Amino acid sequence: MKTCLAGLLILAGPYFAGPYLSAQTLHIGNAGEPETLDPHRYNLRLEETILTDLFMGLTTFNATGETVPGSAASWDVSDDGLTWTFQLREGLQWSDGRPLTAYDFVFAFRRLLDPDTAASLAYFMYMLENAEAVNAGRLPTSALGVQATNARELVLKLGKPYPYLPERLLYPTGHPVPRHVIEKVGDNWIKPEHWVSNGAYALADWQPQSHVRLIRNELFHAPAAIETVVYHPLANEQSAYNRFRTGEVHAVGNFPAGELDWIKANMGDRLRLSPLLSIVYLVFNTTTAPFSDVGVRQALAMMIDRRVLTDQVQRSGNQPNPSFVPEIVDQYQPVALPNGTMSQAERIAKALQLLAAAGFDEANPLNLTLRYVSGTEAKRSSLAIAAFWKRIGVETQLHQSELKVHFADLRQNDFQVAQAGWFGENNAEHYLGLLVSDTGNVNYGRYHNAAYDDLMARARREADLATRNAILREAERLVLPEYPVIPLYRVMIRRLVDPRLQGWHENPRDVHPARFLNWR
Amino acid sequence: MARYLAARLGYSLITFWVIVTLVFFLMRLAPGGPFDGERRLPPEVEANLNAAYNLDKPLAQQYVDYLSMLLSGDLGPSFRQKDFTVNELVVSGLPVSLTIGGLALLFAVLAGVSAGLTAGLRPGSRADIVVMGVTNIGIAMPTIIVAPLAILLFSVTLNWLPAGGIGSWRHYVLPPLALCLPFAAAIARLTRGSVAETLSEPHVRTARSKGLPMHRIVRRHILPIALLPVLSYLGPAAAALLTGSVVVEQVFDLPGIGRYFVQGALNRDYTLVMGVVVVYAGMILLFNLLVDSTYARLDPRIRLSG
Repeated sequence: MKTCLAGLLILAGPYFAGPYLSAQTLHIGNAGEPETLDPHRYNLRLEETILTDLFMGLTTFNATGETVPGSAASWDVSDDGLTWTFQLREGLQWSDGRPLTAYDFVFAFRRLLDPDTAASLAYFMYMLENAEAVNAGRLPTSALGVQATNARELVLKLGKPYPYLPERLLYPTGHPVPRHVIEKVGDNWIKPEHWVSNGAYALADWQPQSHVRLIRNELFHAPAAIETVVYHPLANEQSAYNRFRTGEVHAVGNFPAGELDWIKANMGDRLRLSPLLSIVYLVFNTTTAPFSDVGVRQALAMMIDRRVLTDQVQRSGNQPNPSFVPEIVDQYQPVALPNGTMSQAERIAKALQLLAAAGFDEANPLNLTLRYVSGTEAKRSSLAIAAFWKRIGVETQLHQSELKVHFADLRQNDFQVAQAGWFGENNAEHYLGLLVSDTGNVNYGRYHNAAYDDLMARARREADLATRNAILREAERLVLPEYPVIPLYRVMIRRLVDPRLQGWHENPRDVHPARFLNWR
Repeated sequence: MARYLAARLGYSLITFWVIVTLVFFLMRLAPGGPFDGERRLPPEVEANLNAAYNLDKPLAQQYVDYLSMLLSGDLGPSFRQKDFTVNELVVSGLPVSLTIGGLALLFAVLAGVSAGLTAGLRPGSRADIVVMGVTNIGIAMPTIIVAPLAILLFSVTLNWLPAGGIGSWRHYVLPPLALCLPFAAAIARLTRGSVAETLSEPHVRTARSKGLPMHRIVRRHILPIALLPVLSYLGPAAAALLTGSVVVEQVFDLPGIGRYFVQGALNRDYTLVMGVVVVYAGMILLFNLLVDSTYARLDPRIRLSG
């Protein structure tokens, strides 16, 4: 009977009647294979996607990606912004029926910062009191600023005010882990046969490079509609596109940008575009001549036409972003680069003048190497940028390398000009922090400006969000005309989603927890 | 004979050790490390990670540790697939790679021998010209072209077969087909050549003049001789097919060890890449050893010298 039905479905429709699906199961294409499902050891966005279905931290996402109470029902902040008291939701349980208490959260935060856990994102919680010292092994985990007053009240003590704490607690680094299982089976707690979690789903099966199968957690306080969710790691964009079109998966992340126009014309009801909280930018190595010269940086920055870059060269939906903070960050008014209103001719004249002041002219042109991560889109962008610079006589050598090499070299400050990107949070500090002197090697260009550092430090001492954002804005206004970076664009997430799937809402974090999804 | 094989085995072990050593140090020479990403890693965190995976020890020490681990059959923990050991990953991926490679070998032999036989029995005929033309294309078209075309035609356009992943038998049709094509073409050409040659041998002519039916002549008098060169080609072909599915596994999203190899290399997952290399190298050396021993059996000169 089942095969008959499958046969009928094949005849019924070319795309979505895939014979490989059962009606209840949701198949989602994920960008790759998770490296771990241990929330404290995770590192990748594609892991975050699955972990958000498996666990729930103190706060969580709603269907539109906003931060809402999760395992905590409510919280209070002290006036100095240093003490956060969370009241847990009543009747919380693990997927094996054990009650989940504030003590589990204490265990989890200590585990995250324990050096033995070797959590690569442990620093996400460095705002906790003594966190850095605990993580470096200088203090015992018991010194960490986290306490349970009783089974339902958790107190987080911070070293410095951090008004974005509820947002930060969304990440898997803030997820609780089942102490009672870990103490019994150790590192094997992550295997499906021992699996216990507190999210809307539990892990049923994990075949590396094939699939991760989740099954609904009936003990979750608001059980999900879809019983089984299978995440498939897809090797690349083309394979995502193919497998969506054959109906093997119901939702996929990015498909090849070149298909966008065809999809708009032919499968418009399946196309979902949403701007991602992200900034792609060019970074100058400010420690080497001539890029230590603000004039040279400005000349190069002025020649970039963001609109041409995104709309005519890339044509993949990316949006020009003339500020370093993405324009879609909440409660923050980003500062745009100067010179926005100049005409092309005025720009060229001014840029030539700046280059001449730095000693470059037709006889002695500026030669530079632009580095980017291998890939079609980055290559096209780099060619366009080289063409923009050609207009003022700049000779650009393109140098591509694979992702690891690219960022390893950038961190070692081994480049002249390079493409880079920063993704993630809904707050300005996340982006502006990259240009602070003591940020370390992700301040790739080793930009240093004492006045900027002071402003950022002042912002970081401020507990009130509005005041803090005002100081951050002042910092952005100070730093942009110095051109340590040239902001280029925000990434547009291109997804294909089965139109029968309800509850799928585009949002700037691009999160789509399975518990809010349902079949029409 | 025994001495010959012992010598071959000795050479294989030395080759194996050289491969393992080369790959071990080449991996470390590549810029970037297993824990690099776009995100910031504070020095404390990096120190914790390096200590957890023994990357803080001197390189020579790491090498010795790795070799002694390998001798005890342990390929170590994966640096990036943190929830699995390399042994677990190989155990889960190898059957997929072997199935795809084995099926491809089977398809290649079936298609190649029948096409080569058809062409070789009537040299110069229309069938011969068609087969030779098709095999020329088959040899010239790399898998990386054939596989996406096959997906476009059979999965996306016709929707007959899935575009990737594993599950039912339907997932095992396109990947082996795409993989076997150049090998089938090579086998077809080999078969055709030696069948055509055997046709003019005196014993075949005698058989024909005795009035034996053609199918009997083919089975008894032509194939056993004509297939000898094909058999000797099968050794390296089997090794290449069973280990050569890296491209096919990428294109078809297959959870085989070839895909681990690619991802491991990109992620600087030292132990995972080493593990796959150990398995691949072991398999290729094993097949070569098998071929050598078959030669030894067939060729009296080797038997005598042994």
